[in-house]
Amino acid sequence: MTTTIATRFGQAVLVLLLAFTASFLLLQALPGDAILIKYQNPEMGLSPEQIAEIRLRYGADAPIWAQYGNTLVNFLQGSFGYSVQAGVPVNTVLAANAWPTLRLASLALVFAVLLAGLVAFAATLAPFNWLRNALQMVPSLMISVPVFWLGIMLIQLFSFRLRLVPIINPSEFQALILPVATLAVPIAAPLAQILIRSLDEIETQPFVAVARAKGASRRFVLWHHVLRNALLPVLTIAGVLFGELLAGAVVTETVFGINGLGRVTEQAVSNQDTAVLQAIVVLAALGFVLINLLVDLLAPLIDPRLNRPVGAKA
Amino acid sequence: MALLLGSVSTGAALAQDAPVQGGTLVYLEQQAHTNLYPPAGGFYPNSGILNQITDKLTWQNPATLEIEPWLAESWEINADATEYVFKLRPGVTFSDGTALDAAAVAKNFDTFGLGNKDLGYPVAEAINNYQGSEAIDPLTVKFTFKAPAPGFLQATSVIGSGIVAPSVLEQPYDELGDATKIIGSGPFVVESEVLGQSLNLKVREDYAWGPPNIGHTGRAYLDAIQLIVTPEDSVRIGALLSGQADFIRQIQAYDEAQVEAQGYLIHSAPTRGVNNNVTFRPENPIVADIKVRQALTAATNAGEIVSTLFSAHYPQATSVIASTAAGYVDLSEKLAFDPEKAKALLDEAGWVVGADGIREKDGVKLELSAYESLPQPQNRATLQLLSQQWATVGAKLNVLAGDSGSATQDNLDPLKTPLRPAMVGRADPDVIKSNFYPTNRDSLLQKGGTNPNATWEDPALNELLLAIAAEPDTKRRLDLTADVQAYLLDQAYVIPIFEEPQVFAGAPYVRGIGFDAVARPSFYNVWLAPR
Repeated sequence: MTTTIATRFGQAVLVLLLAFTASFLLLQALPGDAILIKYQNPEMGLSPEQIAEIRLRYGADAPIWAQYGNTLVNFLQGSFGYSVQAGVPVNTVLAANAWPTLRLASLALVFAVLLAGLVAFAATLAPFNWLRNALQMVPSLMISVPVFWLGIMLIQLFSFRLRLVPIINPSEFQALILPVATLAVPIAAPLAQILIRSLDEIETQPFVAVARAKGASRRFVLWHHVLRNALLPVLTIAGVLFGELLAGAVVTETVFGINGLGRVTEQAVSNQDTAVLQAIVVLAALGFVLINLLVDLLAPLIDPRLNRPVGAKA
Repeated sequence: MALLLGSVSTGAALAQDAPVQGGTLVYLEQQAHTNLYPPAGGFYPNSGILNQITDKLTWQNPATLEIEPWLAESWEINADATEYVFKLRPGVTFSDGTALDAAAVAKNFDTFGLGNKDLGYPVAEAINNYQGSEAIDPLTVKFTFKAPAPGFLQATSVIGSGIVAPSVLEQPYDELGDATKIIGSGPFVVESEVLGQSLNLKVREDYAWGPPNIGHTGRAYLDAIQLIVTPEDSVRIGALLSGQADFIRQIQAYDEAQVEAQGYLIHSAPTRGVNNNVTFRPENPIVADIKVRQALTAATNAGEIVSTLFSAHYPQATSVIASTAAGYVDLSEKLAFDPEKAKALLDEAGWVVGADGIREKDGVKLELSAYESLPQPQNRATLQLLSQQWATVGAKLNVLAGDSGSATQDNLDPLKTPLRPAMVGRADPDVIKSNFYPTNRDSLLQKGGTNPNATWEDPALNELLLAIAAEPDTKRRLDLTADVQAYLLDQAYVIPIFEEPQVFAGAPYVRGIGFDAVARPSFYNVWLAPR
């Protein structure tokens, strides 16, 4: 077990280094850079000499390997540099925005799981065939609703028309309702779809037939036998969902005007605020690594078969 | 009071009620501020904050454009405008309690006028020919200039010349994105900030040094201002109309009717500078020919752009600068829409209509490109309509919307972008120099400007521009301003389209909103009437 964890840790470090390097190279390859975008702006009215001085001060024209080395060393020391656009250290930007995103994303995930479960069970247990078929289409509908549009519609309806939740100066709880709902819908869609599929598949397995033959009700079998087996594929897409959560947060945070990493990312992309983007890429990679590690450790608890060496089944 | 308003469409009849003290104004901004070093106040969100927390040496009366006392009680200017001596008002303090004295003012203008390489401060756009300062006594400060600087008096009134505590200017430029670090002497103080999301301003109880003619003395009526960044247009408008916000910035022309229909007010304030325009880069071989530039000017129907895309708050341009700007002359006959003349000029210049309707000369198509400018209202739609208008005379305009990196880089290359949308607001003739002079905004991309590879320049134009910035005689300076407007249009370097306002909307109970001479809002006089 210790070797497994050590190997996993080594892999994680490698993944992070690769993510850092790839993002560094990609950002270098883009036309222009943050300093150009900010200081070449005609509003600044700077002469070429002044801009050259600024570039020198930021080390923007240093050889690429030197910039890479500097950035990497700073990262290892926990310093992510300055946000050229916001005019504050990247650490300050992250400190102000990481927690709101984490809270939004985790609540949305919980809500999405509940929503997905609800849709999946309804689609599996509903009394009539036509109703089950109709409910099975709900996830496709949910995934095809643009997050942006959904957010605006929720605001228009619940905040401006029905006046149930204020969007300006909400309480901490009110501030989360609509964004969480907006973000949860597109996450719930793939979850529900996979859950429906695996519930269907496992229902056809022989052990279900055995349980049914013993007189267990459909509902009992679903809860006690099928669900446990159906959860595994859902868990394995958690990593993918994390990406979905980040992408959804970009739109949700912008529409709702709340701070968070999503909105910071959107602005950093449009201004090529390299230092911020670099930090976010590494953080996101860290998130993926941690989630996958967690999934790998949790999976055997749900399905003990995964612990057995391959081939023992035979 | 009505004079302070740029224009208010309805509800002005209520303006005579007595002001009420207290309350919090909820103000929705479209974008987060970037850097609150005062000379960086050209960006609307920055100036919206700076105007509440900093004061200036002088006040430009937005109704008369006269320069009036503010932190400076009086001033003397020598005959050739190379020496300015300001007498400061006694008893003014920054919000941290330190005195706003001659040394503090000197330190501010030394930084604005000369920059600070070690800390990364750029030179302020509004200040020309700056040499140095001297604190003669605690309330007297003298500025000297390398060459006449007639625009300096007005420059002491602009948003970019807000006075901050000297300690602010000892911090690296990069760190002034944090609003709580900006210590000014204004009627409001930054109390707290959630970076990129919201900012709370609190009234200064001991404030007693507003401009004499601004309408009242003493502290501001409001207790606090809550500024919330709300990027989405529909959310800002919805929040206003549902009573969740009191005042919002940036309304698109197509949303104005919806706001007014519900009894809310549109506040449109003029920026009084170089009009919203497209500027040619004459180094590009296609537009190097004056006939092509003249033809495209004649093919431009600015009236149609204004009436199709905008509202009554966006007057059609009749010169390079706005009709409300100092030194304006009406040159509308040089901007007349005349497609037949356009076609004739292009024929003369040797551009022949090809099979696809686009003109050609020596195998080159008459095809130009411009990047849309995001800060300007409906710029993409404006350029697209322009493109349709030009198509009718056989010229093609590609409207590009690249990422900001490509846009910035390509805009430095006249071959890639022979055309660029621009505008700049400042209520002084220096504004023309700001827009066109190579070491300023360099709209034409001349040699010695922002494009290091440029080879083209117009010495006659530059001489005129320098003369405006260095002519101490006011009458003569306004004549030069008239000359340069005519010159720019005779050379067809620029096609002015409309006079760009900054448009806000407010609830009917928000009273006393004021704007400075370039449309920056001031909340000093604002009070909330009972709803």
